[in-house]
Amino acid sequence: MPAMLELEPKVRAAIAKSRADYTEVRLEREWRTRVLFQKDRLENIEASTEVGGLVRCLVGGGWGIAVFNSLDELGKKVEEAYRVAKAVSPKISERSSLAPLDPVEDEVHARLARDFREIPLVKKKELVEHYNQIMLSVPKVVSTTTRYTDSFKEWLFANSEGTFIFEERPDITLVLAATAREGDNIQQAFESIGEAQGFELVEGLEEKAKEVADRAVALLSAKPVEGGQYTVILDQDLAGVFIHEAFGHLCEADFTYKNERMRELLQPGREFGVKELNIIEDGFLPGRRGNYRYDDEGVPRRRIYLIKNGVLQGLMHSRETAAKLGAEPTGNARAISYRFEPIVRMRNTYIDRGTASFEEMLRGIDHGIYAKSAFGGQTEFEQFTFSAAYAYEIEHGELGEMLRDVVLTGNVFETLKNIDMIGDDLQIRGGAGGCGKGGQSPLPVTDGAPHIRIQNVTIGGRARC
Amino acid sequence: MLEGLHGKVESAELYELKSWGALVQFRAGELESAKSVEQAGRALRLIRDGRLGYSTTTDLKDPEPLIENALASAEFGDPAPFRFAAKATPPQVECFDPEVERLGVERLIAMGEEIVDRIKAYNPDLNLMVSLSRGVEELLLQTTEGQELQERGTGLALSVMAQRTEEGDILIIYDDAASRTLKGVDHLQLADSLIERLRWCERLARVETKAMPVLFTPRGALVLLLPLVVGLSGKSVLLGVSPLAGKLGEQAFDPRLTLTDDGTVPFAPRSSRFDDEGVPTSRKVLIDRGKVGQFLYDLKTAGLAKTASTGNGFKGSLLGGRDFKNPPEVAPTTWTVAGGEKTFKELIAGLKEGLIVDQVIGLGQGNIASGEFSNNVAVGFYVRDGEVLGRVKNTMIAGNVYELLKGRLIELGREVEWAHGLFRAPAILVDGVGVASQ
Repeated sequence: MPAMLELEPKVRAAIAKSRADYTEVRLEREWRTRVLFQKDRLENIEASTEVGGLVRCLVGGGWGIAVFNSLDELGKKVEEAYRVAKAVSPKISERSSLAPLDPVEDEVHARLARDFREIPLVKKKELVEHYNQIMLSVPKVVSTTTRYTDSFKEWLFANSEGTFIFEERPDITLVLAATAREGDNIQQAFESIGEAQGFELVEGLEEKAKEVADRAVALLSAKPVEGGQYTVILDQDLAGVFIHEAFGHLCEADFTYKNERMRELLQPGREFGVKELNIIEDGFLPGRRGNYRYDDEGVPRRRIYLIKNGVLQGLMHSRETAAKLGAEPTGNARAISYRFEPIVRMRNTYIDRGTASFEEMLRGIDHGIYAKSAFGGQTEFEQFTFSAAYAYEIEHGELGEMLRDVVLTGNVFETLKNIDMIGDDLQIRGGAGGCGKGGQSPLPVTDGAPHIRIQNVTIGGRARC
Repeated sequence: MLEGLHGKVESAELYELKSWGALVQFRAGELESAKSVEQAGRALRLIRDGRLGYSTTTDLKDPEPLIENALASAEFGDPAPFRFAAKATPPQVECFDPEVERLGVERLIAMGEEIVDRIKAYNPDLNLMVSLSRGVEELLLQTTEGQELQERGTGLALSVMAQRTEEGDILIIYDDAASRTLKGVDHLQLADSLIERLRWCERLARVETKAMPVLFTPRGALVLLLPLVVGLSGKSVLLGVSPLAGKLGEQAFDPRLTLTDDGTVPFAPRSSRFDDEGVPTSRKVLIDRGKVGQFLYDLKTAGLAKTASTGNGFKGSLLGGRDFKNPPEVAPTTWTVAGGEKTFKELIAGLKEGLIVDQVIGLGQGNIASGEFSNNVAVGFYVRDGEVLGRVKNTMIAGNVYELLKGRLIELGREVEWAHGLFRAPAILVDGVGVASQ
């Protein structure tokens, strides 16, 4: 029996004694290994363990939370969460409540093709060193980062409504990054992958490593982009990050449920884009990073349309936002770890496939940009910005020279409307990083899209001085 | 526990961090939750047969798995280029305020309510998120080289976010404050400064796409300072990715620019007597009147670079708090940029045309190693003929920090202010920043 399940009687007893209106206990036990090479050095190699838990109580509509590492006195922790909730409840006029949910009892075990817990640490080190060496041996590459992580979590959730769930949550990531340099010109390229899979995910990536190093070197002679307005084609990676950052976050109901004005902007039925635009938040694609059967409130995951035929359908919810807005919980309440309470987060967000081919998209672009892969992205509601890892000019319908320093920005409502073509080549993928929100980062997510074409995108660049 | 390792390893370091505290959160101007935190974890580094091993755990009762894991990782580790910290006399650094330790959840709630009331009196339609936290950290660090220390520090942190939502225009403004002492955080002043910025946002202005002077506020100066955090790290120098590598003593910046890293600033959020490797903290001049004065090192990086640790080895993220899980990395303590002559108001008054940048989105994305930045201006204002005309929207700024702070510095402001709990910076006025507007 997993070590975590031995705690079942203690967890049930602690919840049974709680004086709160609602009580939940979430416990985690994690085993992880990490290997990090930087340049020619093994920077870190470790095997570590971590145990911790969180109790959340609702008392008179106010939340009390207790976070801890020691599982010895669960009863006391429930009492502590109750005590701080009591300090909140007399101060509030608007009481929090939870949308109804049928109690669930379930046990979910991970199935890994090559269980990374059974791979000796030395094998992991050798593989990472091998990729690192491939990158480092490319001329002009001055530095590299090759980072491997794996984590296996036993996750246990129980609440005072009778829900009791045990779930195994595996996670494996690899980052390949190379820095090339010529004088003061320093350029970086990277690949990052992450899934809820076994060791097989990170094997056989020699070509990827070579590609990364070659790209860093190629970027040395790429042209810095000139700022301005362009017609832009985004590749699947970048379009996925775009839809996560720029649109996905807007559809997280915790931004709207206590904000009437935001609710008006995000009324279901509002038109957001062309008819071909469909955006899906997919609850559970097993094997995908962060795709587990239950969210951190014990709600089974669901597949929902955020946008169907260009029209907003609904939002992502926790039990609390669903109760307030009269919606159903969608299973999007997530926490990065036992240290945090669940908040509304994405899991697997993508633009569904359209019909255009890449060649059709290129046709008709006189002067544009093909932007590929994402360095990162950030959004503040309607404003978004994200940077392409690299890009190419498009001149008279054909791909031209390589470009760098391509940062795209704009207003999401306008930009979504400016998507005029959606490709037929949908790809969903998970990176090694993750999403950040409300001080909780990184949360494993996946996103995806086919190629998309957008008119009138603002590209920030060095102005000609 | 270190005694148990005697004879098995050449050298070892045990790090144990315990923390406890409280956090309250307001959403939409209403109290929502209170949280009580009690955490503890351990990290063990050791050197066996010259090789470095590392492991962490939350299990404080059974030392065996931690030792086994650390020994196993040492089997394949790289040769350790350093020894763990020896006994040393630390500077006196104030980091503990019993008033913060005693601060109850009720008092945090009351402070939050006062912030909300103050901002709501200015504009009741703003949607406000406020969080307030206080905590105590207790660090125990022992090395087989004879270092043995126990540190207690307090921390108090506030953050406020105001959102103004109108059809076609969503404005979000943040501010935060952090200190190890209660007196270091004035929650009403935080509210007032937020209101002042909100007043500037009442009007909109349009800016043309071209290169122009940009006045970074102390908060906005992070755009310029973040690439320097990377560039002045001894690690970046060692990896060959810092444009400042090999430029010690060279005039790489404008002679008016002086920057210090100081781990001893009283009650600063990142101050302590020792870093997370047991090395005493100190004050270092990183940029001395434009000349590169010093890079930052932790023990390992210093060992590889054949120099001494500067007391900048911390177990946390570059800009965030410490966490027992992370191996120590080179990280800044409090950074201070020396101020100039003119006040912020005088700098604005002297601007024929320019942009004030206070808050950006997309910080740190892109090629910051080479000093490039390209950010969306989240909170920024257009200035013409010395007058703030209003807030700009859909605007990007782009440039290279190393170029701007060398040949393009116009002026530094006189007022040096805390920003992001890490920097004390004046307003920085530079010329020739690329501005792209829709």
